[in-house]
Amino acid sequence: MSAADMRDEALALATLAVDAALAAGASAAEATLGIADRFSAEARGAELTKLEQSRSRALSLRTFVGLRRASMSTTDLTPEGIRALSHRIVAAAAFVGEDPNAGLPETTAAASDDAALGMVQTDVAARDPQAKVDDALGLERAIRAIDPRIDNSRGSHSSDTVATIALANSHGFRGTYRSTSASRSTAPIANDNGEKRIAHYGSAARGYVGLESIDAVARQAVRRALAICGARKPSTMTVPVIFERDVAASVLSDLFAAVNAASIAVGNSYLTDAIGESVGSPLVTIVDDGQLSGALGTSPFDAEGTPTRRTVVFERGVLKTFLYDTYYARRLGAATTANASGGGIGPNNFYLQAGSGTLEELIAATPRGVLVLDTIGFATEYASGTYSRGARGLWIEKGEIAYAIDEFTISSTFRTMLAGIDAVASDLRFDGSIVSPSFRIGEMTISGTAR
Amino acid sequence: MTQAGKGRKIGTVLTGLDSDLLARLLSRALRRGGDYADVFFEHKTVQSFRLQDGRIHEAGLSVVRGAGIRVIVGERSGYAFSDDLSAEALLRAADVAALIAIDGARGEPVIDLCVRHAPELYHAAAEPATAQAFVDLLARADIAARAFDPRISAVNANISEEVQFVQIATSDGEIVTDLRPLVSFGVQTVAKNDVRRANGYFGDGGRTGLGVYDERPPERIARESARIAQTNLDARETPAGEMPVVVGAGGGGVLLHEAVGHGLESDFNRQGTSLYSGRVGERVASDLVTIYDDGNLPDERGSVAVDDEGTPGAHKVLVENGVLRGYMQDRLNGSLMGVGSTGSGRRQSFRVLPQPRMCNTYMPSGGSTFEEIVGSVERGIYATSFSGGQVEISKGDFVFMVAEGYLIENGKITAPLRGATLIGNGPDAMTKVVAVGNDGRLANRSYTCGKGGQLVPVGVGMPTVKLASCTVGGSNVGG
Repeated sequence: MSAADMRDEALALATLAVDAALAAGASAAEATLGIADRFSAEARGAELTKLEQSRSRALSLRTFVGLRRASMSTTDLTPEGIRALSHRIVAAAAFVGEDPNAGLPETTAAASDDAALGMVQTDVAARDPQAKVDDALGLERAIRAIDPRIDNSRGSHSSDTVATIALANSHGFRGTYRSTSASRSTAPIANDNGEKRIAHYGSAARGYVGLESIDAVARQAVRRALAICGARKPSTMTVPVIFERDVAASVLSDLFAAVNAASIAVGNSYLTDAIGESVGSPLVTIVDDGQLSGALGTSPFDAEGTPTRRTVVFERGVLKTFLYDTYYARRLGAATTANASGGGIGPNNFYLQAGSGTLEELIAATPRGVLVLDTIGFATEYASGTYSRGARGLWIEKGEIAYAIDEFTISSTFRTMLAGIDAVASDLRFDGSIVSPSFRIGEMTISGTAR
Repeated sequence: MTQAGKGRKIGTVLTGLDSDLLARLLSRALRRGGDYADVFFEHKTVQSFRLQDGRIHEAGLSVVRGAGIRVIVGERSGYAFSDDLSAEALLRAADVAALIAIDGARGEPVIDLCVRHAPELYHAAAEPATAQAFVDLLARADIAARAFDPRISAVNANISEEVQFVQIATSDGEIVTDLRPLVSFGVQTVAKNDVRRANGYFGDGGRTGLGVYDERPPERIARESARIAQTNLDARETPAGEMPVVVGAGGGGVLLHEAVGHGLESDFNRQGTSLYSGRVGERVASDLVTIYDDGNLPDERGSVAVDDEGTPGAHKVLVENGVLRGYMQDRLNGSLMGVGSTGSGRRQSFRVLPQPRMCNTYMPSGGSTFEEIVGSVERGIYATSFSGGQVEISKGDFVFMVAEGYLIENGKITAPLRGATLIGNGPDAMTKVVAVGNDGRLANRSYTCGKGGQLVPVGVGMPTVKLASCTVGGSNVGG
């Protein structure tokens, strides 16, 4: 099926769903149809262990009966199936309370051009499946060739997706776009005198052309696995903590939840009353941008058809705005920031603005502290803004890596952490929809053994 | 057209794929060779209602219907799925799955299939619940949570009823069907005073119908959520460092799930990537520790009459008096390890391959009373339940987030604590179990386990357990 045919098929089904909802008694409706062709290969050792290839299709439909709302999703895309479910969901809407803010966006602009946003790389569809399989096998060979301590792995993956999205609503909006993505990743295990030390590393981009090479991915993964060999438990203390890029992005994910207008509306965020306040250091400028060419979080319009834009959320530490969809914008008396996503609010490209200097320079400028490579757990209390994670990483002494540490926790509050960011590196990459450069927090509590 | 499998009970009759078509798909999948093939068909409907700001905020309906076809050759799996259920589209998927068999043409084998129904395990309602029944339960929860404490400033509640029909056809010649109900009721509350906000959450449900909330009323769920928010609002900062930890009965079972359970899933062990690899018969825990995983407990959230590969759910002894007895096996890994499946092959949907997974993981009761256990702690933490946890299974490091925790001082439970986490190493923590209570039970709370991006409902359970020491993460270093 050609790209144009795929767009037509997706838009025809979305339009059919909108019509079905109106016929069933809805006063307004909005349908999104997604089609994704996904390829995935996994290798372990010298063996190709998994080969998966499929087209998945899904419809989501939001309906409004006056000011009552009901929504559904289905993989049954037969016209009879869509009509039957539309009737059920419109009937269920009668049990929903009236909400003065419920409804479609007032105006929706015509869709912009996905080509200009760098969303499609032709090498994804063009690449020979055997070459994709060879990528996964090549990663397995490469991690073992770098160091004899790498004696096992949890497998290497090579995968890609070609997706088509169509959106239609009863106000007459019709839009489609296509996107591609590719990734390669590996998980080597180092034999640390009998203990198994696992590390993960991967690269993702809009196409194969943007990916880090097999060798680069393998080297980075092995470096992480070997770095934590011989780790010991640190003592409990308060020290400067550097978050490496990937872990820094996970901190930003928590911060996204705290500026999500849905959390604000129910009081489940420590930032609820903080607009205009300085809540971070001057190094904290955080942006949500749906228009960055080639980035993985980019799209011409959000899940409600609102054109994406660039929104400065924190400017030099000052909280400027929350992130909204149409509903929460109306409810909180603001305008949508085009963050509607899958029935809720989600990021476009949500990132901390890069600083200067490499991670290595940041380490060298830290007399004594911790470099966090990995965290586990998800203990964030959004209402109070407390943060706590299990961590492993490296101890820094006199600006140099001294030894590996693990089995400790890092804890603080977001208020203290954001205010405490005293250095930001330049290593920002747009390989996900929430990304961050490495940064340092002047002081955090780490808990390990008793002092 | 013959109906290969029918969903019984729960009012509606759901049908699977035609048995002649299933036989054709299996033959087609094996035409290039391969040891085994199966087809997994599911039709799942979830109806839900959500309450926010004292009114029904939204109604939801979700339908997942499709079929996946798998071919296994040695340790290789080929997989393709389709939501288009036409013979043409499904045969195309069989061809893609067959690509994993590299050694070429063999011709299509003849497959004869006979139908088997899963054993009766769930007490489902005779009819699907009415919309009115859902919204009445939500309204009762809202009123009860707000009445509990005037400081409860927000209540969000969600209720859902799911029915999943599965049909699994295997090249061994069987078609197995099961019809699985699942209800879930969660209440999230926010308590607020002049300086702080705090969250509470409690959920309840299982593989049964909405009628379960007659016996376990929504008021109880809502008050429990509000009580946790209230406790956390009044809580003080958690002291950081190493100390004895008492883990509460029921919800404390998350500890077993994370610290031991994941490490005993057979994929990691066959590949030698778990720290428990090759250690069956060895001592891995204190002799007070016995751990079971059971797919056969009536109505429990993690139960499966048959797993997602058609194998009956089973009671498995994982650890017995501190000695490792066995792993949880799916078909692929069980066959490669020469022991067969333990009914642990589970998957999130037809779009993904099954993995060896836990069902209901628990520790049976021991001999100590709750009072003896708490009374033996001079200074430590009592963690009644966890909001979640995570483990890195190669070395065994874990983290648990305490949903509700208290300080123990001189053998007495004193101040509530907020933001506590436990961090440690699974095997190390299991050697530090020094007392096991006589109060073993499963948690009512609704737990969902994630692995490799796939979510499945699970159950956990435990008696009160004392760990001689564990690292507690908190922000109060001086404490």
